[in-house]
Amino acid sequence: MIDEKFFSPHDLGETCDLLALYGEKAHVLAGGTGLMAMINKKQLSPKVLIYIGECGLTYINDNGDTLRIGATTSFTDLLHSSRIKEKVPLLAEAVSHIGSPAIRNMGTVGGNLAIGSPASDSATALLALGASLNLISKTETRIVGCDDFFIAPGQTVLRPDELIQEIIIPKTTIGAKWGYRKLGRRKGQSISVVSAAICCHAVGTKCNGARIALGAVAPTPVLASEASSLLEGESVEKDLIDKVAKKAAHEIDPIDDVRSSAWYRRRVSEVLVKRLLLQIFS
Amino acid sequence: MKEVLSLAMIELKVNGLAYKTEVRLKSTLLEVLRERLGITSPKMGCNEGDCGACSVLLNGVFVRACITNALTCNGKEVITVEGLAQPGEIHPLQKTFVELGASQCGFCIPGMIIAGKDLLDQNPNPSREEVKRGISGNLCRCTGYQKIVDSIIAVSRQMDEKIS
Repeated sequence: MIDEKFFSPHDLGETCDLLALYGEKAHVLAGGTGLMAMINKKQLSPKVLIYIGECGLTYINDNGDTLRIGATTSFTDLLHSSRIKEKVPLLAEAVSHIGSPAIRNMGTVGGNLAIGSPASDSATALLALGASLNLISKTETRIVGCDDFFIAPGQTVLRPDELIQEIIIPKTTIGAKWGYRKLGRRKGQSISVVSAAICCHAVGTKCNGARIALGAVAPTPVLASEASSLLEGESVEKDLIDKVAKKAAHEIDPIDDVRSSAWYRRRVSEVLVKRLLLQIFS
Repeated sequence: MKEVLSLAMIELKVNGLAYKTEVRLKSTLLEVLRERLGITSPKMGCNEGDCGACSVLLNGVFVRACITNALTCNGKEVITVEGLAQPGEIHPLQKTFVELGASQCGFCIPGMIIAGKDLLDQNPNPSREEVKRGISGNLCRCTGYQKIVDSIIAVSRQMDEKIS
């Protein structure tokens, strides 16, 4: 007797009904780059798969004050989008370093977030951009900031009956100064040792609304908020950059693992923040 | 709402031929191709999407068969290296890989050819750096990348000559 089920709903309502019905038994399948790898490695053995690749969540929309990216939009879709390239080049740059061509064709931005990896490269960029997520279930929709979404490695605030519907990027970041840098063990198809993204407004050398985000250096992708606030309204010069970079390196909580050591991650975080700020304010 | 029990039937077109096959909930496209349909050019290397040995084109898109759930492929079209060759004539990429000695143990080569085809379809005149990026998700453990890159570049030049 086979008690396994596969669904490929064709709209969002149907998807939410299925999630409400199956709850924790169900796993949401999008691009499969994370979930299918886990299933193959026998880390997961789902009884119910809900495939959301055909439920209408692949889009990049301009909604006046915000850009909205549907959860199943692939990294390749983002890279090929002139809207993304023009309005949020930081995201385009971050995405270009994710995986390899085939992985970018398959992997989705919603999946990359939902899996809750501390090393999610899209999360680092979206944190710096002040993005939030629209979460939907049968009973409600709620908007959660990217900085409140992640709880721990592999854990997010997403409930078993909930789905990421879309990513919302405020247009206040359009025209902002930005920088992104990823360090991996090698150039191609590499999980980040450290990733850093900075987004801010600069009038001359004065800085406003800076957001410094770091990935793979804490249990979740993080905003270095104290370091960011040191920049507010200031004229950004070498001494301040040194101070901000040091502060950022103190705000993180890296670990030793197969890819790197905590010591190295802290050092590199400081260096990357420094380099990005120098690049932005040179 | 269509409910599909595992051990469901899916329909696939592979290299121009139509197939119907039974799959389970956790079946991957790679298992279906190799074990059900006997199409063995896509290889199982890492089985987690990292090595690229299982690369195929799914509805024209360059993907990893090992992490593609088979149930999501119902009604779709798959091209493997077997499908690139015309009757009596192998594909220019295959021919050039042979001529330039790009294949050592051969395990990664079907994936490399698919990656090369996808790259040339999108960018007929890639630089060496662009070729390297194009095959950056395909690992050759013999480490024979030099001749693989040479071959893809050589094919792009041949295509140029044909046009001009």
